[in-house]
Parts: sequence; structure tokens; C-alpha cells
Amino acid sequence: MIGHLILRLTIWFLLTANFTLTNIVIGVAIALILPRNVAAPESVKDLLRVLWKIALAIPIAFIEAFEMLFRPHRYEDIIIERVEAKRSPRLIFLDVFLITFTPKTIVLKYHQEGWYEVHRVVRRKPLQQASTREETP
Amino acid sequence: MMIFLSYLCIGVGLVFWFWGTSYLVGQRSVLYKLHSLSVSDTLGSMSILFGLLLRRPREWPLLILALICLAMWNTMLGYVLAYCTARDANDHKITTSAVPGEFYE
Repeated sequence: MIGHLILRLTIWFLLTANFTLTNIVIGVAIALILPRNVAAPESVKDLLRVLWKIALAIPIAFIEAFEMLFRPHRYEDIIIERVEAKRSPRLIFLDVFLITFTPKTIVLKYHQEGWYEVHRVVRRKPLQQASTREETP
Repeated sequence: MMIFLSYLCIGVGLVFWFWGTSYLVGQRSVLYKLHSLSVSDTLGSMSILFGLLLRRPREWPLLILALICLAMWNTMLGYVLAYCTARDANDHKITTSAVPGEFYE
């Protein structure tokens, strides 16, 4: 409830850039009126941990981008990453965002059984040669 | 100093744009192209926006909102495109088993 309100008000104030009383009242009213989904609540600790990881992912993404720029990653493969236990749909969304945001990895699919299918690019041919695609000449 | 930094960010963004877009005309798989596209579209555009933020700090609310929207929408659309090409990706075989957070260690 509070998390929804804070997120909506943040977007409202970024959109309007206006802190007059009228605008605050309108923003709070809109934040309360808009429907919200009923999702399993997650602990604040888990949420903060993922948000911290997202903040860290920004410099990591730029480092990976420069790596891809200067050291070509010619090979690609798919790996499986296990989902941490007891993840709410919101945290799974943030996990998918986190993995896909960094340019070397993209989530292909989230499996309900508790794992992500992740596509990644790598510099060297992985050990299991049959599993990778090489660059076409 | 700020002007130099803003030009640097915009320049890096433009390099990312052109470098990432150049891969689109290659012969590689759609999934491979998505990686370079995320460099150009997401990170390149974010870098340009950050450069603009340094030049026009008064417009920070809209530029921050644009940065958040760009990161969120581009990334999730990348996921949607990857998901849609999943059938094609089944040509690959799963190779490794990784534990959560392995990529970031």
C-alpha cells in the first residue's frame, strides 16, 4: 500500500515538477484512486536488496557495454539461473529486469518451476562446443 | 567541466548508438542482435540523456523520468522480443547450471 503510494507520487511529481498544495492533493487523490493489483507482499529487506542490485547494475551495464565494444563477444549460449526461494511476482519482475538490463545477458523465459532461461554472449567458446553458435563468416 | 562531461556522455551515447545499430545488419541470430541493441538503445540513449541532464539541470524532473522510462521500457521490450524468439532459441542447448546472482560476482 505505502510502496504503491510512494511510487505513484514519485512519478506524479517527476511529471508535474510542482510542489504546490493543490498539486500534492491531486497527486495523492490520483495515487489512491488508481487500481492496484493484489500481489503477494514481499519483505522490505528483499525489495531494498533488489533495488540496491539495480543501482549497482547501472555501472556494471556500462562496463559490460565497453567490454563488448572493445573485446568482441562472438559466441552465445543459454544457461539456467535458479530463482531464489519465495520470490513474489514483483521481485521476479525486478530479477528479470536486472538480468536483462546488463547487455551481456537477456532473460529468455521465466519458468514457473523456479528458474530463468538466460541467453548470454561470451568471448570464448564455452567448453560444451555443441551448445553454442559461432559467428557466421 | 560540466560542459566537457556532458559532451563526453553524449559522445559515448552516440558511439553506442552507431556501434549497436551496426550489428542489426549482420547475419547473426535475433537474440545476438538484441544484446548489441540493448547497448545502443538503452545504454546509449541513457548516456545521451545524462549528458543533457548535465547541460540542463533545471529540467531534471522530466529528464530523470525519461531516464527511468527508457531503462524500464527498453529492457522489458528486450525481454519481450527475446521471449518471442524463444522458439528459434530452442535450437540452442542449455549448457550450464548457474546459481542465483552468479553473473554479478
